[in-house]
Amino acid sequence: MSREIYAYRCRKCGHLHYPYRMVCAECGENEHNEFDPVPLPKSGTLLTFTDLYALPADFEVPKLGLGIVELENGIRITGQIAVAEPRIGMKVRGEVEVVRTEAYDSYYGMVFREA
Amino acid sequence: MRDVYAVGIGITSFGRLEYPLSEIAAYPVMMALRDSGLREVDQLYVANMGSGRVNHQTGLASAVVDTLSLTPAGAEVIENGPASGASALKQGFFAVASGVHDVVAVTGAERMREVNNLEATEFVATLTHPIAESIYGVTLPSLAGMFTRAYMEKYGVTSRHLAMVAVKNQNNALLNEFAHLHQEISIEGILDSPESMTNNPFVADPLRFFDCCPVSDGGACVILASREVAEKTGRPLVRLAGVGQATDTHCVHEREEPTDLLAVRRAAKAAFQMAGVGPSDVDVAELHDAFTILEIVESEEAGFFKKGEGHLALERGETQRDGRLPINVSGGLKGRGHPVGATGIAQAHEIVLELRGEAGERQVEDPKVGFTCNFGGFGNNVVCLVFRREN
Amino acid sequence: MPVDLEKILRPVDRPMPPFPPKYMTIASGEEMVIRQVDRDEIPDVLSHVAPLMAVERDFYDVVAARVYAELLAYYRHRMQDEYVLVAQIDGEICAVVNGRMVDEKTGMSLHTLSLRRGLRIGAHAFAAKMEYHMDILGHDEVLVVAESPIGFRRWMIEYKLEKRFDIPHELGGVPSYALTRPLFERARGTLVIGRRPVPEGLLAKAKEAILPPSDPPTPPEDLMAATRSKYDPTGTALILQRWVQEGKVRG
Repeated sequence: MSREIYAYRCRKCGHLHYPYRMVCAECGENEHNEFDPVPLPKSGTLLTFTDLYALPADFEVPKLGLGIVELENGIRITGQIAVAEPRIGMKVRGEVEVVRTEAYDSYYGMVFREA
Repeated sequence: MRDVYAVGIGITSFGRLEYPLSEIAAYPVMMALRDSGLREVDQLYVANMGSGRVNHQTGLASAVVDTLSLTPAGAEVIENGPASGASALKQGFFAVASGVHDVVAVTGAERMREVNNLEATEFVATLTHPIAESIYGVTLPSLAGMFTRAYMEKYGVTSRHLAMVAVKNQNNALLNEFAHLHQEISIEGILDSPESMTNNPFVADPLRFFDCCPVSDGGACVILASREVAEKTGRPLVRLAGVGQATDTHCVHEREEPTDLLAVRRAAKAAFQMAGVGPSDVDVAELHDAFTILEIVESEEAGFFKKGEGHLALERGETQRDGRLPINVSGGLKGRGHPVGATGIAQAHEIVLELRGEAGERQVEDPKVGFTCNFGGFGNNVVCLVFRREN
Repeated sequence: MPVDLEKILRPVDRPMPPFPPKYMTIASGEEMVIRQVDRDEIPDVLSHVAPLMAVERDFYDVVAARVYAELLAYYRHRMQDEYVLVAQIDGEICAVVNGRMVDEKTGMSLHTLSLRRGLRIGAHAFAAKMEYHMDILGHDEVLVVAESPIGFRRWMIEYKLEKRFDIPHELGGVPSYALTRPLFERARGTLVIGRRPVPEGLLAKAKEAILPPSDPPTPPEDLMAATRSKYDPTGTALILQRWVQEGKVRG
């Protein structure tokens, strides 16, 4: 089953938000929950990245690749980067997978690999 | 709206303090009261971020006002992440400027070392967006790392520039008796020598160990008062002339331009406007160098140098203690330490000390205008202050 | 008679090639020498380790007490196949590491005690130990445990040490982790650091004497003394509490 990450489209002006906000950033005319969820595209360009070594306790790996990706539709997203040698501007493709496990809870998010 | 003056200052050592948070917050108030010669205040503000989560103490301001025997004065905790300190000063400023109060004490404190390093990092990471950032394991250093990489790519800042800021600030702290770190470092040791990767390993590539500020305990206080009270104390007149604040998107990836710190730009502009001075009038500045890259970028966004040229000014030595615009002569967050709630006030403490001419060995020559930038979250809530000497 | 008893009680050390001294530049720009010490220098080292037994934070007290015991046992010939390395800056001791040879193929890392904070000296000292076991003693595996969370993150997680939970470590009998040869080779870049040979003058200074550390971890001077503030020469309510405790003032 392929999971999605959703952006939120304002019903009045069509502006797309990721992550969710309660009031539309563009027209400010929304009432709460006047958004339609729209699945985000999974391909994009890597804008910047880092290898994080000082990790929270529940990550038992020596380092973690993180980055910001600009997706095809212009929406930007933060995600884990599973690329051996990342470069700014490279094309990446994401999958929604488990990105963090705290005690018994699993959290799903975007993991990007070289496209 | 009337003028507001900084009439008393107090601070603890920064580092590892083995006692309750309420005392770390209270001690600087006692020092500031002694400094100003005052015995009472109308209102107390306590800047703090972690009292509930890290120290299991909520309602901190109520505890502090009691331990100081300042009851029945009003008291509140002001929380704005790492910008709690300047935010609290902002509230104090409004209280006095509006005429409602004549004397307010603004103290900031944090006791982060009550827990171990992992928990302290996790605590600070609660600033990130829970759904779009935190779930990935994003911490503040990782946001700074990504920001640094983009900045290096766009403007040509290098690891050497970052190391230069680290060396400058940590060595500046050697002259600061309150500073957390009193350890000299050199570019040779942290960057050039064959062993520099062990001395200075990556924390969030390209940021390294010495590019990041330490985890510290500490407290600082500034007492703000009306002109009438200020004149009676007989201390040098230092006015809090400008206060500016601006916010930006919560998620770092939603920022308009990945290499801009818009909130700094706007907050600084607002503060300068209120104070009636400009960036070129500033004689001494305390910027928020939680990560060395931030000092460089804030110096540009505040208007001291052109965008993308902060590292060039650093190269020219302009931001050294004897340079054209000394930045972080106290050691900054890097050398002085970063007890989250106290930092904004410690920055003000240093500026007041400098403007009064009481900074001892680290005194900058005859400063008249001082500037602080207190950076909340990762740039999504910034408060800037401008101080002016009046006599 | 006494000679025979001693012969029974004293372990016979197996031959261990000595650790060739090396040097490195640390964060402050100073040069640090790491060298092996023999029994005759142990009393000096002991005198510098002893004060740390009173430092209750970061497990300094436990580590210092154990290091003291291990070094003393080495000195008095009551520990088999132990080695001790010290790190010195300008003659001043800044770290002590020790370990043992379990058999020809297995080493046991005992302790890493840093006497100067804030410069990542422990990282250099630990690496030197691993190099000694793997490259010089020719072990295939080194067993490691950590007393403090800092140690755990720095060694177990960073180097991805393998769990050897069926082997109780000599330190407290807790489950061990192991640095295996493949792990060592993969981390060679970070575990074999520093330069050889040590310049003559630098080595001579280090061998001359083991000087006391200039900035060792100390118990806080006064638990109640909040600050080194120059604004408070006379004392505060906090110091008043201490005076009450000491009976100098009535509470």
